[in-house]
Amino acid sequence: MLSERDIIARVQHLTVTRLRVWVKQGWIKPVDEAAQAFSEADAARAVLICNLEDQLGFAEEDVPVLLSLIDQIHGLRSELMGVLAALEDLPPDVRATVRMRIESRRGGGR
Amino acid sequence: MADDPYSVLGVAKTASATDITKAYRKLAKKLHPDLNPGDKVAEEKFKKVTAAYDIVGDEAKRARYDRGEIDASGQEKPQQRYYREYAGGEDGARYRSAAGFEDIGEFSDLFGDLFGRGGAAGARGGARFSMRGQDAQYRLEVDFLDAVKGTKTRITLPDGETLDVTIPAGVTDGQVLRLKGKGHPGLGEGEPGDALVEISVRPHPVFKREGDDIIVEVPITFDEAVLGGKVEVPTIGGRVFATIPVGSNTGQTLRLKGRGIKSKSGTGDQLVKLNVVMPERIDDELKDFAETWRKSHAYDPRRKLKEQA
Repeated sequence: MLSERDIIARVQHLTVTRLRVWVKQGWIKPVDEAAQAFSEADAARAVLICNLEDQLGFAEEDVPVLLSLIDQIHGLRSELMGVLAALEDLPPDVRATVRMRIESRRGGGR
Repeated sequence: MADDPYSVLGVAKTASATDITKAYRKLAKKLHPDLNPGDKVAEEKFKKVTAAYDIVGDEAKRARYDRGEIDASGQEKPQQRYYREYAGGEDGARYRSAAGFEDIGEFSDLFGDLFGRGGAAGARGGARFSMRGQDAQYRLEVDFLDAVKGTKTRITLPDGETLDVTIPAGVTDGQVLRLKGKGHPGLGEGEPGDALVEISVRPHPVFKREGDDIIVEVPITFDEAVLGGKVEVPTIGGRVFATIPVGSNTGQTLRLKGRGIKSKSGTGDQLVKLNVVMPERIDDELKDFAETWRKSHAYDPRRKLKEQA
């Protein structure tokens, strides 16, 4: 767990003001809200937001759009992984059937 | 040895600092790993592009590079850990959004409610270590009308136990019903698996199905076709009278609204396909009539045929 101080020290270009604004906007959600304690994922997310704004030159109002899309992708990816893992548990012939159905739904082409 | 930073960014050695930043941002927006989760190629390119920009995007470093004081790979930064490395894990669960799933319930009656629950709740992560029981698979053959109207039935399992299955109205051939917790028992505190029951629907001699519509072929007599009238027609809800319009033809379809399958998506219709059947024996009266009629009422149903082929 990282305190507010730790995370600011850890992430280049992160300032107290920036961090507090982001938390207020809900872009970063401290692992422990009461203690304002952050995790490694929060730190990495702060790096990402700094990246988006500073390196890539996105405007501040673009950031929530990007974060929302990124979060949706990870939500979808996580569920897809879950589905794939569940399929792995099925007997081979059932997996083959599922595969076939997926392919036929795609209309055979990619 | 890293590539020449100018060519990596696709700019001339004489490019202005603004142009270099522009070129870098254009590439970086396309390649940023967090905008391309799962794409290794993009990640490699992004690293190159960023390394290149680290040198020529910095005036002092660019000057040193131009003077040959440092080489293109000179300034290896400590490795950055990207957000995406956390996003899929337990720690990232808080951020994962279920907004992409809101319409999946409409897409799949059976599985729609499964998705998107893990995201906001953050209850994932440990899941892979749980010892949930395996899902059990069964096949169940149901009569056409049971599939159409829905029913309750009981499966006897190989071990002698029974399983009550509710067949929802409008179930289709090949559809899989998931019975929560009716699969193999879990280990320890793990939940039992689910029972997956694949439905196969026996065909019906009279009724066919197309989506939520029921299709029935109904033979009518020659005189019914000419004069119209009411004929009794079987529907999945019992017999009803359908009105045959004057001058009906084989292949013509009548629609009985709301006489199809009532499913979640709405109620289908019954489609009555008419089939004009001549009497088994053509008697003299009919022959005489036809001959007289032909003289004054000749018509050519094959005109279009000749025109088109």
